[in-house]
This record gives sequence, structure tokens and C-alpha cells, in this order.
Amino acid sequence: MIIRKGSFICCLLILLSGCWDNKDINHRLMPVVLGITGEGDQYKAYLQVPRPESDEMGSQVIIEEGHTINQIVNKISVNMESSIDLLHIKVIIVDKELAEKGLSDLITGFMRSRDISSKALIAVSESNLDDLFSKISHYKAPEGSILLDYFEKNAGWEPQIALTRIWQVYRSIHSYTRDVAIPLVGMGDTTFLNHTGSAVIKNGKMVGRISSDETLLYNAFSGHSTNGKIEVLDDASVMILGNQLMTKNKFENDKPYLTTNISFKVMILETKNNPSAEKIKKELDKLLMGRLEGLLEKSQKNKADIFGMGQYFRKEIPRDKLKNWRSNYYLALKLDLNVEVDIQNAGNLKIPSK
Amino acid sequence: MNSLLSEIKATFKDNDDFFLMPQNIQGIDIVLMGLTSLIDLPKSIEALEDKFERNSTKKEILMRLNNNGEKKKNIAEISSSVIEGNLLVLVKSKANVVALKPIGKSLSRAVESSENEQVLQGPLVAFTEEVDISIGILRKQLPTANLLVKNYTMGRDINRKLSLLYCEGKASPKLIRAIMDKLDMSQDKEINNIQDLIKVLGLRSRSVVAPFKITELPEEAAQSLLKGKVALFLDNFPFALVLPGVIWDLFILENDRNFTYPLMLAIRLLRMVAIIVSLIVPGLYVALVAVNPEVLQIELALSIAQSREGVPYPAFVEMLFMLIIMEFIIEGSIRLPKSIGPTITMVGGIIIGQAVVEAKLVSNILIIFLAAATIANSTVIGFQNAAFIRLFKYIILILAAIYGVLGVLAGIFLIGAHLASIQVFGISYLSNNLKKEGEKNG
Repeated sequence: MIIRKGSFICCLLILLSGCWDNKDINHRLMPVVLGITGEGDQYKAYLQVPRPESDEMGSQVIIEEGHTINQIVNKISVNMESSIDLLHIKVIIVDKELAEKGLSDLITGFMRSRDISSKALIAVSESNLDDLFSKISHYKAPEGSILLDYFEKNAGWEPQIALTRIWQVYRSIHSYTRDVAIPLVGMGDTTFLNHTGSAVIKNGKMVGRISSDETLLYNAFSGHSTNGKIEVLDDASVMILGNQLMTKNKFENDKPYLTTNISFKVMILETKNNPSAEKIKKELDKLLMGRLEGLLEKSQKNKADIFGMGQYFRKEIPRDKLKNWRSNYYLALKLDLNVEVDIQNAGNLKIPSK
Repeated sequence: MNSLLSEIKATFKDNDDFFLMPQNIQGIDIVLMGLTSLIDLPKSIEALEDKFERNSTKKEILMRLNNNGEKKKNIAEISSSVIEGNLLVLVKSKANVVALKPIGKSLSRAVESSENEQVLQGPLVAFTEEVDISIGILRKQLPTANLLVKNYTMGRDINRKLSLLYCEGKASPKLIRAIMDKLDMSQDKEINNIQDLIKVLGLRSRSVVAPFKITELPEEAAQSLLKGKVALFLDNFPFALVLPGVIWDLFILENDRNFTYPLMLAIRLLRMVAIIVSLIVPGLYVALVAVNPEVLQIELALSIAQSREGVPYPAFVEMLFMLIIMEFIIEGSIRLPKSIGPTITMVGGIIIGQAVVEAKLVSNILIIFLAAATIANSTVIGFQNAAFIRLFKYIILILAAIYGVLGVLAGIFLIGAHLASIQVFGISYLSNNLKKEGEKNG
């Protein structure tokens, strides 16, 4: 009886599994970068596929057009000798024009079909994707793409580059209180890429841009470490060692108030004319403060809450009014901003404290 | 009288190693009987003569003879006594047979160091085929009056000695009672091997996992007894069978306690990791390569893809093929005599190491996974335990080939469920506290 039951289960196991459809890793094409641009009402997709060559990692760019991304992938699959496995895509680059037109359909499609990992990073390119992808295969990297390293936290990432994944963009499309910034890149002259700041995405559309210095503050606000960024002041240049964010919120008379303390720990690298620690502190304080206030003003003008300040008021504002967060409350937001600078390290030399 | 003699003759007429030797000691006519294969005859006769040839009267000699031996009446008693290797003395005038303990031929090996289990910095002595010697070794290891021995003779036709050892006050009385009941009940069943013993004890004979810990080291057996377990010795089986077996037998060697405490913990942890590695690594390879490559980091995925370039078989077949060759090598090196054993290692090394990769039959990353799994498997304590781990990894492999990483998880779950279902005399295989469980379920 047990044997009969066991063999029945074994039969089911084998017959119902569909395991003959599994494809081995060497029969799959694993693109790592997907570039998308709009061409009329069609999409044009660029897939960069790393190709193991005898000694090193080569790469190949496949270009195809179609009405949907899935149609494009299907078209490529038909023409290629291996099947395409989009799950390894790490970076998606979108044309600026397409980003301004709106990414909602694209992102929703990615989230729905599960073909692309929701952890993939998204970036906006200011240069023509044709040029970018024709240049990309000249730069060899062990992972098959130089673009990957550019955004990898343990490789080429720097704190002034925004790191935004497609699930975050998807979340921002449907959230009343949060928008995102995604990195803006262009082709560089001597380097492959040139980081030009970040694109502010509101409801899936690019509505403005912030500079890379401002992106640093955006990153500090969203909890990424700003470790290693160097700020140049009039009297000195300092390196940021760490940052901490504390916020308090209050909602009175239908008006949101937010008190924010950002503390930076810094290390002094170079000085000019022997300034005192107090002076450097003040100067840095002023610089960061001015920048933050400017950034807030800018985002209020765009009505895009990239800091996610609305998150703090979700429990105070009723749901039916919350959808007006960007248009009403955000503009009325009173922000009390404090920047604290702690010089933790003056290097191997002492500096005068006064 | 002559009828008894002729009856004995008739019983043993087809045994050429049976002897009948008429002798005369101090004027008494006697006949010596026995098996030349078991008795050292010249020495035994010499000893006999020494004993009786000192101005003794006939009556005294006969009395001493009766005191020294056992009287055997009927032919069944006599024949079983001969088989046991006794020297039988038939006194012609009295027509009775006395069985004496002769000087036997040395048929068992001396006490040697262990062959199957290597000991690092611990007692080296191992149990032998002779039950009495083994018990003696254990008594020496555990000099306490609480160590109790109960002897059984199992089987009707073929007699085999079986000894049950336990520590009074440590082992749960319920457990001992249960084992004794089982043994008493099947006294007439023959035990020729461990499978028979498992049946006699009423344990699951279809289970892959051995219900005992089988060890030839007295230290392991002694410490197990102190923990409340029970040891069985079977005649001509130079191992102690420690009941009940628990999962910790896979990782824990009592000899570990001869190292410092942190070292002991580290070694045991290492073994646990090794078991998991040897169980899941082959399955994981297949799952990652064939079913769920998205789990891999892109660098790793590309380098695996590169190493698999040109390999004709799917990952499952590739892995199965190499695993089976590996099993051949392990089994082959057990079979071969020691003098030609290294040949197989060398040939196996060439196949596994180089040729198979160069011939593009398998990828070279697979070889790393395979080697890791095989080496890890050899850290498991006890050959039978290592063997069941070796078997279980195929279940995981098959499930992984079908369901990928989920299959690996399902396989571990299945194995865990199987282990949890094993009970030895009411004590779960996964039990942690033997004393408590023994008291409760026994």
C-alpha cells in the first residue's frame, strides 16, 4: 500500500512538474542592461548581453523595436540561439524624452510580468541611447557591463548618485506622499558616463532635475550613507564620514510642521589660510543649509515630494484629503531645518579651535 | 555404555575433525572426545595427566573429574557440548560423560587498536569478536559496580551469544525492560546479522537510518552508557551497538571532550555544517544552474555559464553522472585490498580532476561542488550514518532538478520529517534529552 502510494506520488511529482522546460544556464541569454527609448508610439529596446569569450568577458548589444517590451523580448528570442532571461537585468536606462512623457505603463508592466527583478535600478539618459550603447561594448568589465559597476554600492557608487529601484518608482506612482529622484547620466568625454544630477519623477513622469550636490542631500534624507563625499568650502575641504537624521512632526490648524535635524560627521582634509574649526563648521553649516532650503523650494515648486515628507503626516491627514498632499499641504509645509556639523577628525594635524 | 559411544560416533561420523581417543590414566579406561579444530589436543592431554597422575587413587580421580567438569547425560547435550569446543571424557567403567574446559586453539585475534574509527588523542583499544573480551574492555573503561551485564543465547539451531549492558541508575528502567522483553520473547530466533537483530528488537527494518550507534571504541560505548543508553554485544561482531540512536550521533564524538571546550564546540559545529553541505550542495548546484539562475550573482552566473559552455548534458545528468562515479570510487576503495587500493584513488583522481573536464563532459565548477560534498560527507561520524547522508542527497538532487531552490527546501523538509518519524523504543531520533524521554516513553 505504501509502495503504491509512494509510486503514485512520484509519478505526480515528475508528470506535473514541467521540469523538462528548465533551461541550463549556458542556454540562457542573460542581459544585464536594458535601454528603452520611445520611437513614435513604439518602444525601442537595447539589451546588453555579456558574452563569455575565450579569456575575457565580451558583450553584445541587441536592438529591437516593438509595441511592448514583452513583444520586443519575444522578437529577440525568436532570432537568438538561446532564450532570453530578463531576471538578471540590473540596470534599466530610459531616454529622457520617454521619461518626460511618462514611465507609468513601462514600470507597471515590469511589476506585473515579473520578468524583470523589481530590484533593478533605473536611470535616465540625457544622451542618445544609440550612441551610449554603441560605446558600451568598448568598455570591458568582469560583470559584462561597466554600467553595473557604476551603480554598484561596493564598486563605483558615490553618495551623490541616487539609487532608485523600479519598485520604488512603482510605489511613487501610486503613493500620494512620496516621489523619487532617479540618476541622470550622459555620455562622458573621457569617462564612459557623466553624472549630471537626478531627475525628479512625479507620478511616473520626469518633472524637474536636481544637481548632484542636491542628490547627496536627497540621499542623506532617505537614509543612504553619504560616506566619502568631499565638500569644498572657501577655507577648507572636508570629507563626510557619516550622517544622521532626526525628525519631529506636528500638524496644527491644517498645516504641517516639520522639525528636522541632520547631523554630519566630517573630517578635515585641506585648509586654506589656517581657519579655525569654528569657522569651518559655520561655513559648512551655511552651505548645507542653503542647499537644503533651495532643494526644498525647488521640489515644492515642482509639487514633487522627493523627501517623502508626507510620510510623516499620513496618520494625521485623512485619506480623502491625503491625495491633495502634493498640491496643498506640501506647499504649506513649514520646515524647521537644523544642520549640525561635527568635526570628528582633523587628520594628523591639529587645528585651532577658535 | 557402548550404545552411547556408538551413538556419539554416529552423530559425528561425517565430521573428520572429530576425534575419539581411548586413554588410560592410572588404570582407568577413558575415552577423550572433541573437535581437533577447536581443542589443542597435546596440551590438553598433558594438562589432564598433570592433574591426575599424582599418586591418586581411582576413586579420587573420578571424584575430581566430576568436580572439574559437567556431567552430560543424553546425546543432545553431548553434541552441543562438543560443538562449543569442550573436551568430553567418557569413563568406561561408569558409563558417564564429563565435559571439561580444555586448552583451546587460539581462534580469536588479540586486542588491537581500532580499524574502522580513527582516534585522535584518545584510548585506542577496540572491541574484538569475543564477547567476553569486549565486555572486559568496557568494564576496564568503566570501572563501576553499576555496570550490569545480562547474557542471552539466541537461536535454536545456531547459538549466538548476545549481551546487554547498561548502567543501573542511568538507563531508564522502562527502556531496559522493553529491550529485555523483546529479547526474552525471541530467544529461539536466530541472529546472524544486524538486520536479524533489528527484527528481533521489533524496530523498523525498512528505515534507512540505523537505530543504533555502532562503535568499536570502548570510550564511546562507556560514555553512552553513562548517558543512559544501552549497549548490545553480539558474538563475533566486534562492535558495540548503542541503543537508542539519536541524531546527535552524527556530530558528537565523546572523544571530543578530550579537547578543550571551545575546540570541541568548533569541531562539532564544523561537522554540522559539513552534513548540510554534503546534503544540499549537489542539489543546490543543479537548482542554481538549471532552474533558478536568477538567484546567482551576475558575476557568478556568467562564470558558471562560461564553464558550462560546450557541456552536452543538462546539469542534472551531469551531476548524477559524476556522483555515481564518486560512489564507485568510494565503494571500490572499500573492496580492494590495501596493496592495490591507492591505484583506484589515483585513477579516480585523474577522472575527477582533469580528464572529465578536459573532455567537456562536465563543467569544472561542478568538480568543485562535487569535491566539497564528498569531503564534507567524510566528516560524518559512523560509516552507516555517512552512507545514509550520501543516499539522502539524491532525494534533494532529484527534487532540486524539478523544483529548483524550492525543491532543495522541500527535500530538507522531507528528510527532517523522516528523521522525526523514527522512534527507537519510544525515544525519538531527534530527542535532545534522553533521560526525560526515556522516563516518559521508554
